[in-house]
Amino acid sequence: MLAYIIRRVGQSILVLLFTGLVAFSMFSFVGDPIDNMLGQERTQADVERLRTELGLDQPFVVQYYKFLEQAVQGNFGLSYRQGRPVGEILLERAPATLELAFVSGLMALAGGIGFGIFTAIRRRGLPANAIMTVSLIGVSLPTFLIGILLIYVFSVELGWLPSFGRGEVTQIGGWSTGFLTASGLKALILPAITLGLYQMTLIMRLVRTEMLEVLRMDYIRFARARGIRERAINFRHALKNTLVPVITITGLQLGSIIAFAIITETVFQWPGVGLLFINAIQFVDIPVMAAYLMMISVMFVGINLIVDMLYFAIDPRLRADRTAGGH
Amino acid sequence: MKTLWTAAALCAFALPATAETFRWAGTTDPNTMDPHAGNSAPVLGFLNNVYEGLVRRDRDMQIEPALATAWEPIGEGEGWRFTLREGVTFHDGAEFTAEDVVFSYERASSPESDTASWFSGVTEVTAPDDYTVEIRTSAPNPIFPDSIANWMIMDKGWAEANDVTRPNIERGNFATLNTNGTGAYRITERDPGLKTTLAPFENWWGEDRGNVTEGIFTPIDNSATAVAALLSGEVDMINPVPVQDADRLDQADGVELKRGVEARVMMFGFSQDKDTLVGGDGSVEGNPFQDPLVRRAVAQAINVPAILQTIMRGSAEPAAQLVSPAMSGYSEGLSERPELDIEAAKALLAEAGYPDGFRFLLKCPNDRYINDESVCQATVAMLAQIGLEAQLDAIPVRNYWTELRADEYDMYLLGWSPGTFDAEHPFRFLVHTPQENIGTWNFGGYSNTRVDELIPAVQSEIDPEARQAMLDEIAGIVQDDMVYVPLYVQPLLWGAAENIDLTQREDNFFILRWTNVN
Repeated sequence: MLAYIIRRVGQSILVLLFTGLVAFSMFSFVGDPIDNMLGQERTQADVERLRTELGLDQPFVVQYYKFLEQAVQGNFGLSYRQGRPVGEILLERAPATLELAFVSGLMALAGGIGFGIFTAIRRRGLPANAIMTVSLIGVSLPTFLIGILLIYVFSVELGWLPSFGRGEVTQIGGWSTGFLTASGLKALILPAITLGLYQMTLIMRLVRTEMLEVLRMDYIRFARARGIRERAINFRHALKNTLVPVITITGLQLGSIIAFAIITETVFQWPGVGLLFINAIQFVDIPVMAAYLMMISVMFVGINLIVDMLYFAIDPRLRADRTAGGH
Repeated sequence: MKTLWTAAALCAFALPATAETFRWAGTTDPNTMDPHAGNSAPVLGFLNNVYEGLVRRDRDMQIEPALATAWEPIGEGEGWRFTLREGVTFHDGAEFTAEDVVFSYERASSPESDTASWFSGVTEVTAPDDYTVEIRTSAPNPIFPDSIANWMIMDKGWAEANDVTRPNIERGNFATLNTNGTGAYRITERDPGLKTTLAPFENWWGEDRGNVTEGIFTPIDNSATAVAALLSGEVDMINPVPVQDADRLDQADGVELKRGVEARVMMFGFSQDKDTLVGGDGSVEGNPFQDPLVRRAVAQAINVPAILQTIMRGSAEPAAQLVSPAMSGYSEGLSERPELDIEAAKALLAEAGYPDGFRFLLKCPNDRYINDESVCQATVAMLAQIGLEAQLDAIPVRNYWTELRADEYDMYLLGWSPGTFDAEHPFRFLVHTPQENIGTWNFGGYSNTRVDELIPAVQSEIDPEARQAMLDEIAGIVQDDMVYVPLYVQPLLWGAAENIDLTQREDNFFILRWTNVN
């Protein structure tokens, strides 16, 4: 077990180093930060002085090594745009993204499971067909379009919900939360729907398929034959077995919700890390881009690592393979 | 809970009856609050509400007294003497004196500053007494007061106390996030990239101030979201309005579109110092764009009125020079754009020795100017009519200047807004032979000895008529040689709620003290 974990963690670190290297080498194509940092009246001498000061005159391998050296000590450098430590900025922005991801994840889970069960049990009715049709739209429309449509309907035409921003936030320690004010909660609704719609349809379709599968199983038929009530069959016996793959998928999707938040955050001017990243690209703020990409890859690699180890713990066959020497 | 409600109720009553909150949104958040660390329109425009210079620009862009009440030349053009306003205080209560001006000169002209170029001819700044400042220049500089309208004065004591006696562009410092100016508004809250809040400075010396008691600026980069926020009443003003949404806002209830003309002239430039085409297919020898006839052919083939009508939807003015007619030093006699004439353009190409045209690389930004990529696409189609086959490469601005500097183009799109609002500015940067400190944006490498002679002469000429004559001569040479093909003056499009009175200044600066909420 321990050897497996060590090996798996080692692989993860290699993956991180590699993604970091790829990301870092791409920065040379993103543009030149100097042009954004200096005005139009700057001289060539100013440009060169700043380039040296920022270490941009060094080959990128050296820059990457310096970045890693600092990052290992928890120092992600200073943002070119804001002149403040990147770690500090990321921590400031993280609550907005995490709260948005949490709410939209919750929405996707509740809506997805609810609608999934409904469409599986009442497969043929008009409501189920309507939900299935709408879900197709949810899968096929791009996120930004959904966002703009929602803004147009609920902000511009009806005037019910805000079109941008996070509303009023309350500071609790270092965490800024929008959960405690009416405007904060109102501001959450549209972005959460935009971000969660795709995940919701995904979960819904998964639940529906699994549920239909399970409902065809022998043990359900026996249960019916024994005269157990339909309600108990659906929710006690069928649903439980449906949820196992749903939980696995949901866990994995949480990572992508946070990563995909970029588009939603741009549409709604939501002040999270995704928006920070987009602004960083426009300004060629390399320290922020690097830290964000590392953060996202750490997250994905971490989730995968945990999932793998859970499988290892759950599935005895994996362990048996190892003790037998593997392939 | 009850006490909370009571407190909230008390707060509501404590506000003056006339509290007027004004919210506005722009695409770019100023990247610093340090007036000497940023020399870009978003930074200087925003900080004009907070800091002040010795002089400032009025609604019509004319120079008027600010922290200085008067100024006069010293001797025969040795420099300028400024008489300072008495009784001005900074936001923290410190008194404003000549010492602060001398300090701000040292800070703004230091190598660490982004505004050092404004002071390139200055040799010495002294304060004979508390309310007089003498700025000496190496050569007579008639437009010096005009060129320092955005040089903002900082409090020496505050800067020393907070260890910000020099700006720090790369690392930032206390002044990157905090301000202490003399302006009509002070910053009460600054969240970079999210929100900046302003409150009136009660002890401001000036008059003529609107009724805004709280100003909230939010950057919204997505223009569709910004338009929605304006339409739903969540913001009172947005800048800019995307050209394609202009008509819709014009017709919408409760909002108004404010149209104006910006100081920025859009033009095409050409590679002139290279002997071959980057994007050629080998069918022609050398670099045809070195020939003024070819450049003139391009000018005559571009249908500017059509571009203005379809792409700019009637919101821009055609341009004939590198500056708009509203700038000082504009040459009145040279206001004719070459007329659209396909046959004449073809004849010019044939005369230059390229009857069958040629292929070349046209470089454009796609996120810098209003509809920049569309303008270039239209140009490609128009040039095809005279046999010029342009390969369009439209890229984001963050790569654009790097590629132009690396000579990866044959023809390119450029917009220029003169910081001094004077015709000398684009000549200095765009037409003078490229050197260390001058001609730095002359990517094409145009070089003309007479022009190089005239530019320093213009810079030190005190007599307005003689100066204008020299500017006219340069403008004439530039037009004859067709160094650039000027297209149009970029429009200013702001959207505002109907109950807002505001002033749209030509430099696209938004001045909060000219704003009224009705």
